[in-house]
Amino acid sequence: MAHHSHPYHMVDPSPWPLTGAIAALLMTSGLAVWFHFHSTSLMLLGTILLTLTVIQWWRDIVREGTFQGHHTPPVQKGLRYGMILFITSEVLFFLGFFWAFYHSSLAPTPELGGNWPPAGITPLDPFEVPLLNTAVLLASGVTVTWAHHAIMEGKRKQAIHALALTILLGAYFTFLQAMEYNEAPFTIADGVYGCTFFVATGFHGLHVLIGSTFLAICLARQISHHFTSEHHFGFEAAAWYWHFVDVVWLFLYISIYWWGS
Amino acid sequence: MAEDIKTKLENYRTAPFDARFPNQNQTRNCWSNYLDYHRCQKALEAKGEDTLPCQWYKRVYTSLCPISWVQKWDDQRAEGTFPGKI
Repeated sequence: MAHHSHPYHMVDPSPWPLTGAIAALLMTSGLAVWFHFHSTSLMLLGTILLTLTVIQWWRDIVREGTFQGHHTPPVQKGLRYGMILFITSEVLFFLGFFWAFYHSSLAPTPELGGNWPPAGITPLDPFEVPLLNTAVLLASGVTVTWAHHAIMEGKRKQAIHALALTILLGAYFTFLQAMEYNEAPFTIADGVYGCTFFVATGFHGLHVLIGSTFLAICLARQISHHFTSEHHFGFEAAAWYWHFVDVVWLFLYISIYWWGS
Repeated sequence: MAEDIKTKLENYRTAPFDARFPNQNQTRNCWSNYLDYHRCQKALEAKGEDTLPCQWYKRVYTSLCPISWVQKWDDQRAEGTFPGKI
């Protein structure tokens, strides 16, 4: 480890930003190739490269923080700001889709019959599976907070149980949503209703998968004794992200599922 | 009441200002009057009454709506694919 008279982390040279950028390029151009030439090879290659990049990049961060001690309090503060800024950008991302939904649903055009839901659309009953999904995610918010307190109090077994339960609830949500998607009486191609519904809930589902993965990594790290009762920022970041996912669902439920029916 | 409507129709020049639709975009005005005319027709014919009062709505939507829209909606009603509730 280098000796310096400041608490900051001068990161060693790493290939992952470059491979990540190349992966992004291959995925996006691969998407265009898929649209025009019906071949998914380039996009698949990009996705594989992205997966390899994120695994190795974050593995290196865990090594630098947990094993090499580079994550001093000021460094951790920077990581906190970073996660907050990232989540804020994601909030704005979803804001756009909510804008689209409200734009179309507040002033339904004659093509829709002047009504929302549009003529011919049978929306899902908000008090059936969607309500269950709301309960599941709210419960997972409770269990992740339980896990956090367990970590802070040094209660290892409890933390593992609470975190595992959170991930299970997340998986249950994903399973229920998949069933809903399969059995829905409308598709993404069914006018502006289908489009706003599936793009907004679809991106939410993607974020549930990402959040569940993040929590699963935290579970593995907790089992491997990476977290201390004072220093467990990786877990906190995952918990923040998970709460964000929960809040987005609440807005989706109230706007699209409930008001929109 | 029928006399009022008759004089109203005789004095008709164009669609009057409707405070329900104060802005530049008059789509909803056209749509609303098209629906109201056909709903009025349906309701009064069901009761066996004279449908003269309905002519007001027809005059208004004829003044306001693009002819292509009216033709499209008439075709949809004939096909049974009209999305509005009449």
